[in-house]
Amino acid sequence: MLLFRGEEHIDRWCAQWNQPRGGILTIPQAWKLADAWYGNKMEPDWRRSTLDETEALLSSLGLTGPFWNLRP
Amino acid sequence: MTTRLDNQVRLELYREFVRTAEPPSTETIAGLLDASPGDVRAAMERLAEGKAIVLQPESREILMANPLCGVPTPFRVRIQDRTYFGSCVWDALGIIAMLKNDAAVDSSCACCGEAMAIRVSGGQPSQTQGIIHFAIPAKQWWQNIVFT
Repeated sequence: MLLFRGEEHIDRWCAQWNQPRGGILTIPQAWKLADAWYGNKMEPDWRRSTLDETEALLSSLGLTGPFWNLRP
Repeated sequence: MTTRLDNQVRLELYREFVRTAEPPSTETIAGLLDASPGDVRAAMERLAEGKAIVLQPESREILMANPLCGVPTPFRVRIQDRTYFGSCVWDALGIIAMLKNDAAVDSSCACCGEAMAIRVSGGQPSQTQGIIHFAIPAKQWWQNIVFT
């Protein structure tokens, strides 16, 4: 997951490295994802999220569609 | 199967990593827990198997205690007088979320190299310039987490 100045920089990077355009997050979206994913990582009762929980988190941030699909 | 020791090792390695801004060795964790290095090593392997941490391929010492990365990366996090590294920009933000403190991520545009910073204060990013690109589809993230 890399940081870019804007969409045209992503397009340039994808062309340079022959990579398809993937998923894009705004900084506020990424912050919410990071907070939900890691906010409790140092807590004694931390556990890895289930597939259902992760799907619900991605969906709550508007991250839906084939790129964000977690199921095989 | 996660054991009580696994949880103790997880908590202790995170505390020590945060305290020193360096990944603790197996020996250090064993000393802190008054446990045998062999038992701690086995616990770390189980934690890695459960995707709680990532171990180096040969030494089997900590590479990532996500969101913390044990080696320098282009995603530097400054919190008070400590400097940490995230494996990616998501993890760098994750360090700030985990430590619940005002901080900044120092990085650069992956395309052109222009310096960029994301500041977080009061639990919110105060600068929202820039966007994040995920090159790897979500279901493939853990197929090669180092590449991801």
